[in-house]
Order: sequence, then C-alpha cells, then structure tokens
Amino acid sequence: MLLSELRPGEYGIVKKIGGSGAIHRRLLSMGLLPGAIVRVVRISPFGDPIEYEIRGFFISLRKQEAANVEVDKIVPLSLVPGNSDVRVIFIDGGVGFVQNMGAMGIAVGKILKVIKPCCPMQVQTERGIFTVGRGMAYRVFVR
Amino acid sequence: MLVALAGNPNTGKSTIFNALTGMKQHVGNWPGVTVEKKEGEMEINGTRVKVVDLPGTYSLTAYSMEEIITRNFIIEEKPDVIVDIIDASNLERNLYLLTELLELHSKIIVVLNMFDEAEKKYSIDVAKMSRILGLPVVPAVGIRGKGIDELKEKILRGKFNPKKVEYPEDVEKRIEKIEEKIRKLGFEPARWYAIKVIENDVEVVKKIKDKGARDILHLAEHLRHEIEDIYGDDIESVMTSFRYSFAHGLFHEVAEPINVGGVTITDMLDHVITHKIFGIPIFLAIMYLSFQFVFLVAAPFQDAIDLLFNGKGTVSGHIPGLVDLSYNWMVTFMPDWLSSFINHGMLRGLGAVLTFTPVIMLLFLILSFLEDSGYLARVAFLMDSIMKKMGLEGRGIIPLMLGFGCNVPAVMATRTLKDEKERKLSIALNPLIPCGARIQVFAFLSSIFFPSNPALVLWSLLILSMVVVFVLGFIYSKTIFRGRSEPFVLELPPYRMPTMKGISIHMWEKSEGFLRKAGTIIVGAAAIIWIFAALPWGVKYGSPDSYIGMFAQWIAPIGTAFGLTPQAIISLIFGFFAKEVVIDVLYVLFGSKDAILASMTWAQAYSFMLFMLFYTPCVATIATIYNETKSKKFTLFVILEGFILAALFSFTFYTIVTLLGVGA
Repeated sequence: MLLSELRPGEYGIVKKIGGSGAIHRRLLSMGLLPGAIVRVVRISPFGDPIEYEIRGFFISLRKQEAANVEVDKIVPLSLVPGNSDVRVIFIDGGVGFVQNMGAMGIAVGKILKVIKPCCPMQVQTERGIFTVGRGMAYRVFVR
Repeated sequence: MLVALAGNPNTGKSTIFNALTGMKQHVGNWPGVTVEKKEGEMEINGTRVKVVDLPGTYSLTAYSMEEIITRNFIIEEKPDVIVDIIDASNLERNLYLLTELLELHSKIIVVLNMFDEAEKKYSIDVAKMSRILGLPVVPAVGIRGKGIDELKEKILRGKFNPKKVEYPEDVEKRIEKIEEKIRKLGFEPARWYAIKVIENDVEVVKKIKDKGARDILHLAEHLRHEIEDIYGDDIESVMTSFRYSFAHGLFHEVAEPINVGGVTITDMLDHVITHKIFGIPIFLAIMYLSFQFVFLVAAPFQDAIDLLFNGKGTVSGHIPGLVDLSYNWMVTFMPDWLSSFINHGMLRGLGAVLTFTPVIMLLFLILSFLEDSGYLARVAFLMDSIMKKMGLEGRGIIPLMLGFGCNVPAVMATRTLKDEKERKLSIALNPLIPCGARIQVFAFLSSIFFPSNPALVLWSLLILSMVVVFVLGFIYSKTIFRGRSEPFVLELPPYRMPTMKGISIHMWEKSEGFLRKAGTIIVGAAAIIWIFAALPWGVKYGSPDSYIGMFAQWIAPIGTAFGLTPQAIISLIFGFFAKEVVIDVLYVLFGSKDAILASMTWAQAYSFMLFMLFYTPCVATIATIYNETKSKKFTLFVILEGFILAALFSFTFYTIVTLLGVGA
C-alpha cells in the first residue's frame, strides 16, 4: 500500500521509494529508505498534509508526495492483542538489542504467538515462553 | 583562515554562528539567488578566522539551490575547516549529512549541539564517536554558550584522521575505476566526483560533459546499471541506503537509548495546537494578539518620531519639528531652495524611513519568537492545503497577513519561504494586500463619501483585495511562477523556548538591513519628489502650478476615464511616497472635509479608492522588494501589475456606473 493510505497511529515499513528527481532524492535523504519504519502521527485539519515520525523525528508530507512511498503495514509487538500469531518483520535497535531478542527466539522472519498482551506481555517462540518488557515490545515490529 | 558551518536546518547553526562571531557579521545573498549568506569574523589566540554560515541542508544533492551552494562552496572555496553542526537529539538523520561531507572534505569538526536535550533521550559516548570517525567531536549547548571555547580550540588545533564511508566491495571497485579517470581530468575530490557521476548527479554530469570526457559518462552509465542490477533498486536508493546504514551503524555504536515511547511535551502541545477543531482558532488568536502587540507598542514610537521630525499642527498654531527648525536655521546661511531641498526633501525622507523602524523591529521580534519556538512550522502544517491552491506552502500565509499591517516587513518576511519561486510569487502578491496606511485612507474617504455605511465600503475593498490575491495567486502558480522547484518536505521540530539573544540578533539584522539599504532609496525618492513638487521655483509646494500639478493636469483627460480628478491624481503621486500622505494632500489642496466631499461624486470617490487599492506599492515597499530580490525586472513587474489591476478595476467600475447613469 501507499504511505499516504496509512491512518494516524498506524506503522509502515518502507518497501520502495518511487517518484523521480527532486522528490525522490529528498525523500531518500530524509531517511525514507527501504526497510525504514514510519509512523503516522496526525493529519492536518484540512486533511493534508500528514505528519509522520521517522527515525525519531517528525516531518510532514503532502499526500501527493507520500504517495511516492510504498509501504507494508506493520504493528509494534506492544500493540498486538492476545492469542494471535504474528511474524517478526523488523527489530529496531543496535547489534546488542537484536542479539538479546534473538536469544529469546525473536528474530526477523520468525513466527510468534502472543499469549498475554499485557502486564507483562508473554509470547511463545520456538525457544519457549518469554516475558517481554513494554520498552522492548515497542521496538519489535510484526505483521 | 576560512571556516564553514554546515548542518541540517533547525540544528541551532545560527546560534553557534552568533556565538562564534558575535556582532561582527555581514548578511547578504549568495550571488544570483535569494538564499541568505552570512559571513562573520572571529579571533582565536590572535589568528583571524573568517566564518561562513552555509545554508541548512539535509543532504548534498543537486536538486536544491541550498545544497548546490553548499557543495560548490566547499569544492571551490576550499575552507580550511568545516564545522558540521548536528542536532544531537536527532542524531541518526543528522549523521547522514556528515557521511556526504566526509566525501567532500577531510577536516570536519562535529558539533553535537543541544547536547542537554539529547541526554534526556540517550547517553552518547563522545570519545567513542570521535575515535570511530577520526574527527574532533565537541558536545555543545549553543544557546548557553557551552562548548564554544572547545570548538574554537579544535578549529585551531584539531587532529583529523577521517574514516572513509565505505561502500560494499562490488560498489567500491566500480568507484575506483571512475576515480582514476576523474583524477586525470583534474577534478578534486576525485572520489566524490566518481561517486556523484555514478549516482547520475545532474550538475557533476554536466561538468564532466563540458570537459568533453564522454568516455567517463559512458563508463559511469554502464557501472550504474551493473550496481542497480546487483542490488535490485534505483541507484539513488542504493547509494543513499549505504550512507544511511553508515549513519545508522554509527548511531547505534555511540548512543544508548534511555527510554523509548512515552509522551513528550511537544506531542502534548501538538495535540492541541494542530487539533482538528481548535488548531485554526488558536492560529488566528495568536496572529491577532501578535499584530495587536506590534501595532500597539509601535504606534507611540512612530508618533514620537513623526512629531520629532514633522512637528504637529494644533489649534493654537504649528509646533515646529526638526524639519522646520533645521530649515529655519540653514536658511540663515544658504539659499532658500537648498535649505528646502535638504530639509523638506531629504530630512523629511529620513523621518519617513525612521517611522518604519519600530514596526519592523517589533514584527521581527514576534516573527523570530514564532519561528524559533517551532510554531511557524505548525502554521505551515495547518494552512498548507489552503495555501497550496494559490501556489504557496502553508507558511506563505504569514507574509500575506503581515501585509495588512505594512507591506515592508511583510515582503521581508517572505524569507521564511524556502522555495525561490514561492518567495517571488508571495512578494508579487503582497503589495495587493492593503496595508494599514491604505486602510486608514479608505476609512477616511468612506466616512466622508459614504457616511451611512462606511464599514461596508471598507469591507468591500478588503474582500476585493483578498479575492484578487487568491485568484492571481492561483493564476500565477499555474503560469509564470509554475511548479515548485523543490518538494514540500517540512520538518516539525520540537517546541523550544527561544532565547532573547537569538531573537534580538535576528531583529537587529532585519532592521539594520532595512535602514541601510532600503533607507537610501527612500531618502533619494523623497528628494526627487521634492524637486517635482517645489519647482518651478516660487509655486506653492505640491500645488497645480508645480511640475507634479502640471503633470496631473496633463494626464487629467486620461484620468477621467477612471473617474480620477486632477487633485486625486496629485494625491496619488504623493501617495507613492507614503500612502497615508494622500489624506494630508487632499487637506492641503481643498482645506476642509466639505470641500473634499464637493470635489468628487461618490462614484469617482469609489473609483479613486479602487485605484489606490492596487496602484504601485509605496517607495519603501519597492525599495524592499528590490533589496530582497535584487532584480530590477521583477520589481518593475510588481509595479506594473499594480497599475494594471488599478486601471482595470477603476475603469470597469466607473464605466459601468456611468453607463447605468447612477454616478451623480
């Protein structure tokens, strides 16, 4: 789907940046690159432009510009309801964080089952049942 | 020694620049464009250092004027040191520009600005960062002057052993192939040229083509397709991804997040300020209060300056001002006409320039506050979809609203628009907004000629001007000012408390620029007007016997088609100097309200107002337009546009009313 089609509060992972010339280059240099995570923050009162969060900062894009970006909708693990199966798409963190998650069986491409969504969150992976902190679950994106 | 400051927009670059150079700075434009260029000087341990503030950019592509200026400056002027100002609280994206700078220059000092804010988000290992990059890294808090001494020290004695941004093996070997050939052409830095030609950078490709080295272009194209095939994406995405992964990797090496998630103050404020329903009323309220503040506070100062120069007419007689006193004094030792020229011409002109200054200073005080606090970016976000229809981004509403106060600061405020075409479009529309002075004249004339409903008449003029601005904006944006040269990507920075120092420097820059440059033109114009109003020698100043009067009578037959009487034409000529003067001139020519009423029919009066609504901007506005655009052609275009609209509306109105026979 297109970035412009995501609704406020939803997340996407960038698949491809379309467009050409200036808009293509500008989107890239803002860090909108294949694999980057984008969150829709809010929509302007008149419906355009839209504010996005990317790499920890906030930009606003007009719909026609956001329509150059192809995304897949994803969800941070922390927002997944109980008793559902999800696939890990992206882990947002440094090498250490990725290794720690990997030790629990949470790695890109793996299937998880959320047993209990909250407090604390419990997930079942191929390595067993683990408790995941909110801060961690926030940085693991699934579909 | 030459030092250049580079960095993303909104990183506090100008704060660091001010902290380094203090008041020793010069603001101008980069040659040929309206992008602002700031230069300053400082002394470190006896070494004189010239500092140039490069435009804020996110990257160094060939797609925006700012980016081209930045990279050309680095290649051509070869600064001794580049200082890359990084917003430490937004590390990853800011590091991307550093990866591009690293390919251009070897002596870079990294300043981690807003370090205090960043420490709330993550802990940054400065020493490790310096070690990895092989560059000096200086943590700083620009607004409190922290880190400035260390930065100065590093500028003089920093050690540079920069790490190369490395691409994967299969890309590197292709870069090397081109690099060899580029080196033979004598282009430096050869590696940067090689990377850019592979990326198909339009400017670099053109430069190589101009050298006739077509073989390089063919080879680059071939290599480019190979890389695109290997990585399965277009070359720009591929290369940008590699540089970003360098930035991403570095970021995770040196920064340890403290807490993720959680609601920030900015988010809470934005929830209200950009709210679906409250957003617009809040914006209107802030604008209203700002203008109230500016004009309330400025008015007494303006009156005082006016009183000082021109004195005041009271029931018991005229209290002499500086102009009269100086005239009376000079006339004792020089001819009457010379004293009159110096005082009634030039000194009065100087007075007019000075009366503008309080408004300009206060408007820029408020505007800098709104900009530095981050609110202006929200205005852009709120108003964008409306302003887009007339070819402007959301921020374009600010100069238009300022226009109702005074077109001079409004034209200066178009600098908040980053896009060259949008700036020109905005400047072309601005004089069509009736400023406070014109509204004052309309109110005066409406009350005389339309005593039963003056407010309605005033409103009809205001609405007409807004409709014309909107329609013309729509037409211009589809024709002569068509197409943004850059896409609209707006950063919404966190809200920050502006510092008094930053605001006052900004205010001073603007006022000083206006006084010095526009001021000269205004005083000159005042002198010329004096000549035509006071000659031939012996006539009453500005009377029908003067040159201005003769001209008015000569053109009167044409004026009748527009419903303009000769006296109205004279007042319009003086109005060119300052619009509010129209009232004074009518008083001088007729002596009383009743006589003014008797001089025109209501249809002629309304035609007169329609003409005044659009005809040429005043001298001060013209001087500012020229000063901001440095284009005589464009300035002339704005003047002509005004006259054409003025003629069009007054002619149409007057003709219709006359044909209907209701004009008398």
